Amino acid sequence: MKQIAVRILQAFGLVLAVIVLNFMLVHLAPGDAVDALAGTAGEMSPETTERLRAQYGLDEPVTTQLVTYIGNVLQGDLGVSIGNNNRPVTEMIAERLWPTVLLSITALSFAILVGVFVGTLAARRPESGFSHFTTVFALVGFAMPAFWTGYLLLIVFSAKLGWLPVSGMEDLRFRGGWFAQQWDVAKHLFLPALALGLIYIAAYSRLSRASMLEVLESDYVRTARAKGLGERSVLFKHALRNGVIPIVTVMGLQFGAILSGAILVETVFSWPGVGRLAFEAVVERDTNVLLGVLFLVSLAVIIANFLTDLLYRFIDPRIRVSGSANG
Amino acid sequence: MAETDVHGMSDGQELPDPHLDTSRLRQAPAKYQGLRMFMRNKAAVFGAVLLIAILFITFILPIFVTGDRTERVGSIHLAPGAEGSTTFGTDYLGRDVGRIVMQGGSATLKVAGLAALVIVVVGTTIGAVAGYYGGWVDNVLMRITEFFQVLPGLLFAIVIVALYGASTKSIVLAIGLIAWPTIARLVRAEFMRQKNLEYVKAARAIGASDARIIFKTILPNTMPVVIVQSTLVMGGAILFEAGLAFLGLSNPKDLSWGFYIGANRTYFLSNWWGLTFPGLMIFFTVLSLSLIGDGLQDAANPKLRGR
Amino acid sequence: MRAETPLRSETPLLSVQGLTVTFDGFTAVSELSFDLYEGQTLAIVGESGSGKSVTALSIMRLVTLGTRAKIAEGQIFFRQPDGSTIDLVQADEAELRKIRGNQISMIFQEPLTSLNPVYTAGNQVVEAIRLHQDVTKAEAYQRAFEVFERVRIPEPKKRLKEYPHQMSGGMRQRVMIAMALSCDPTVLIADEPTTALDVTIQAQILGLMRALQDETGAAVIMITHDMGVVAEVADDIVVMRNSKLVETGNVFDIFEKPTAPYTKALLASIPRLGSMTGKSQPERFDLVDMDAPV
Repeated sequence: MKQIAVRILQAFGLVLAVIVLNFMLVHLAPGDAVDALAGTAGEMSPETTERLRAQYGLDEPVTTQLVTYIGNVLQGDLGVSIGNNNRPVTEMIAERLWPTVLLSITALSFAILVGVFVGTLAARRPESGFSHFTTVFALVGFAMPAFWTGYLLLIVFSAKLGWLPVSGMEDLRFRGGWFAQQWDVAKHLFLPALALGLIYIAAYSRLSRASMLEVLESDYVRTARAKGLGERSVLFKHALRNGVIPIVTVMGLQFGAILSGAILVETVFSWPGVGRLAFEAVVERDTNVLLGVLFLVSLAVIIANFLTDLLYRFIDPRIRVSGSANG
Repeated sequence: MAETDVHGMSDGQELPDPHLDTSRLRQAPAKYQGLRMFMRNKAAVFGAVLLIAILFITFILPIFVTGDRTERVGSIHLAPGAEGSTTFGTDYLGRDVGRIVMQGGSATLKVAGLAALVIVVVGTTIGAVAGYYGGWVDNVLMRITEFFQVLPGLLFAIVIVALYGASTKSIVLAIGLIAWPTIARLVRAEFMRQKNLEYVKAARAIGASDARIIFKTILPNTMPVVIVQSTLVMGGAILFEAGLAFLGLSNPKDLSWGFYIGANRTYFLSNWWGLTFPGLMIFFTVLSLSLIGDGLQDAANPKLRGR
Repeated sequence: MRAETPLRSETPLLSVQGLTVTFDGFTAVSELSFDLYEGQTLAIVGESGSGKSVTALSIMRLVTLGTRAKIAEGQIFFRQPDGSTIDLVQADEAELRKIRGNQISMIFQEPLTSLNPVYTAGNQVVEAIRLHQDVTKAEAYQRAFEVFERVRIPEPKKRLKEYPHQMSGGMRQRVMIAMALSCDPTVLIADEPTTALDVTIQAQILGLMRALQDETGAAVIMITHDMGVVAEVADDIVVMRNSKLVETGNVFDIFEKPTAPYTKALLASIPRLGSMTGKSQPERFDLVDMDAPV
């Protein structure tokens, strides 16, 4: 319990560090929010800019500004969008949150299930054609930029074969029952999730192949066989739980990479999520929105890290329960 | 996985390998054994040949195939091989896709190369200092490393480039800033392992300074790890650069591969070649670097072959 | 050395005949034959790489699982408790699974890595019990508790809930022994069971194994490189070198009159009490020259 409390404190420290970093990014950047406003509003008199600076608190000392900023962020106030009529950034992100959560969780689960399955099969027969194919597949999957994969999938499955929809999250003209509607979303989800998950399928199949190869040669797997267990129990009860430990350790950190990749993939598929919002913010130079997305995604990664840490403790008792061995 | 992969060259070379011709091995100087292993790895040799081909297309071929890539060479959206078209087709402005892709590589490779350099230098230095000194220095540096690992890399780079402008400098620094932690951790682990070995104690005993021990004594022995990692870092940097450029965060005049895919993206339904060919170049470049990295890893550490 | 040799029934419990095991063309065990009788302790002795561990794994037919090893020739006849005899080389996986851990069980050298780190000791012993016996989970735990007591694990109730990393090396090896004995096997194979342990613990574990053998009547195959261990526990001995049988026979006869030079050299390597008197440092063993004339 004490260890978990420490981890919560550390997570909170990381959140603070992200807020400070956000502040520094803006503070060190050329020009401030008022310059940006002046840019969109055309000419502004020096009196007006001074007044606006005072209004935004930009004339105060840096430390005061920082404290105010931290306070605001902790209360959920991420500022207002310059490009969107001063809409609160938190509100804009909130309405785009669900599609991104759906997309990234699907891609990640996809990657873990397929990757571990493929890697385990490959590890069982390390000299087989399938195993060599897995190695090649991992290299190929890593080298394909996710956004490019997205277009290739679209060209093949949507444009040439016409099996799956080209863009968006649902068919706007759609009429039908609840289940039919979910099916419609699933059809829209498949290609973006595959494009986003492919690199992780590749990474996890490679990682789990290596880890399972090691585990399957271990003494405790031999012990399990010597007990008279069948190969299935040996694999699923004794080997797999040890074999997935390396994957669990990298999963939390890769959540950030997946959410980053979502910006590219959502842009390709016009998926109405946070990533697409970030792309729009890049195009419109909407700094507050961009920083808001960076903060929330970092927060998500910190939480994901914390959760995988708990999962890791659950899977591996060597971390959870301190030893009392005395030789 | 990567953390356990760190073993110096010297570890693996003593292992007998029944497939090697031992009589010739005995004559070969130790430093060629790694090369021999590398050459035995067909995939790695393929990667090296592929990389040389890409470098040729990017840097040598443009000298002979001259002509302005922004020039209009025919009608718009002409498929490869169609009448009046070029080998790789024309784009939405009637430009030659082949010429643009050929010349766009130098920008991508330059930015990615510089970024990889920043990553390797920063990562190695931080890892070396943390691993060598240990204690509170290590503690502070590892906290910073953890922080940068938690940051969503590409998104952070996007924010930096969006805020500070899409110059080579800001892109290189953005990629450099997000990707150094992996190499720092590897080098740190290697330094922690090596700093207590006899040769380091000997150097300390004759009164070598810390800086000398770090950079002249231990660092050369961690080079196998650093070099293997560098090829992977370079591949990652190319993907990062491509992602940024795809979103429009690169110099538009460079027409780099990622940027050109982004430029063609609205037309993907009618013009598949405009974004397929630049993507293929990114793909083959990253693939070749991965293959070389794997080959070097095997050469440095034969125990891990096939893993 | 044990004072008396148990009486032998007519047919051996386990009979290895002409066993040859190969790995990718390399011969690990070559034409090995020996018999094991009820209640007997047979030591297979040899240096590392002599093929003694491969022999043990071949009896369990574990040698071919997950490796490229092949049993090229030979038979391993095993007399089951119901009186029928089965050739373990020809038996299919389903038959073997009923025998492994149930009628023939095995203890390994390294108790830390031989126990699965992510499950409790109790869980791993109960798994073996429930695999071979038709009992409820609660009954299986009760049996595990009893077998923990039998291998002299203090505070068995607490230990059942502990993970391997929380235990000492000797305690882990007791858990391994408990697991091996949980289904009352007729043959127990111990592959260097004390090599990874501290010297004081070694003696405890050997003593425990001997006591348990008297209690259960199981036949034991003890794989070891240590002639001291052989003298302690064995009735009969099989000496192996370079994958071949060197010499076999009653442990008294071999210790008194070894015929093969290799056996003589092995025996000479046992430090005798007092033999180091006057020497300040441990000495290297003499290297055995196999090619020397008999």
